Amino acid sequence: MSTYVYGITADSHPSLPEGMDGVGDPACSVRVVKEGGLAAVVSDAPEGLRPKRKDLLAHQNVLAEVGAGGPVLPMRFGSVATDDATVAGVLAERADHYKERLDALAGRVEYNVKASHEEEAVLHRVMSENPEVRALTEANRQAGGGGYQQKLRLGEMVVAAVKAREAEDAAELQQALEPVADAVSAGPESSGWLANLSFLVARETAEVFLTAVEQVRKSHPHLDVRVNGPLPPYSFVDPGPSEPADTTIGSDATTDAEAERIQERMQERIQE
Amino acid sequence: MTVVPAQQTGGGGGSSGLYDVLELVLDRGLVIDAFVRVSLVGIEILKIDVRVVVASVDTYLRFAEACNRLDLEAGPRKSPGLPDMVGEITESGARGKSKGALSGAAETISGAFKQAREEGQGERQAESRPRARKSTATRKKEEPE
Repeated sequence: MSTYVYGITADSHPSLPEGMDGVGDPACSVRVVKEGGLAAVVSDAPEGLRPKRKDLLAHQNVLAEVGAGGPVLPMRFGSVATDDATVAGVLAERADHYKERLDALAGRVEYNVKASHEEEAVLHRVMSENPEVRALTEANRQAGGGGYQQKLRLGEMVVAAVKAREAEDAAELQQALEPVADAVSAGPESSGWLANLSFLVARETAEVFLTAVEQVRKSHPHLDVRVNGPLPPYSFVDPGPSEPADTTIGSDATTDAEAERIQERMQERIQE
Repeated sequence: MTVVPAQQTGGGGGSSGLYDVLELVLDRGLVIDAFVRVSLVGIEILKIDVRVVVASVDTYLRFAEACNRLDLEAGPRKSPGLPDMVGEITESGARGKSKGALSGAAETISGAFKQAREEGQGERQAESRPRARKSTATRKKEEPE
């Protein structure tokens, strides 16, 4: 039977969750493979494992349990080795590297922060900052809403302003939180967020970090800021410098080709 | 305004948090070459629609209408962006927006579950459905195959 791997920790870890429920239905029991001063937290790998809610939660829960007792290198969901001997081989082969990472992450946890705009609130903000938008809105309103082209012009101007605001807010969020974290990592791109950032935070300064988040909420009331943590340090298992600020703003990705396509569509509709 | 309190506990890990960190569990964490990964078919849709506000004619018209409905007098005078002053007229818009983002994630995962269910592998995903049903997503979401 192949072996599902949850994470890697030190074999001196005081409370390895042996016997805990892992992935699979019925749940496979968690056990430990030790080698070279390290311990891999594993279970049998169920046949046909898929990223189902129950299994994702099991993965997450096992890692939370290990992480509560000491540093852990969380595996990405779904990592399966041929057998326990393969796991032991990997531990032996890369022991120094994993020990270095565990030392670097000791006492630290990940906080993931996502932000999106409250739409009406950000429209107010954009209007208050932009007299041109205000004037055009007022003109359209007095013209009973304005014609199709006036609406397009206003909408285009507002969308540009909102997108600029997205980029600014993402940068301001990162600037506000980076100083109270040890490292920052841009989260994977996914729908709906103007910022998706993970921060590595020392457990003992977590309160400072959360207070900084509260301050951002107060200073940016048009932002919906969601914090999740403490998490196993998913985003910090690999060494390397934190992401530079300009790579973390995922919301400004309109390509030239797409802009052209939109222009064409607009032309077509206007001509109709 | 939606304020989500931070989880203060290290253990346990409720399912509510799972939706918010799904992409970390699936796309971050240690990868070891000697191990294989289970198939994540249906999960790739997490990567679609990166932009929050999409530049399109439809978006332009929607935003123009939204501006038209805004209370202009309230905007410049008060401190900008206070959700309270937005009032009833705009409530549905703001809610729709923020829920859209959240239910997007929920839809994604419930879509993946649906797929798994159809393959006869699971019967316990009923919990994910209330979230999906609440969906008022305004953005286009792709359904998994």
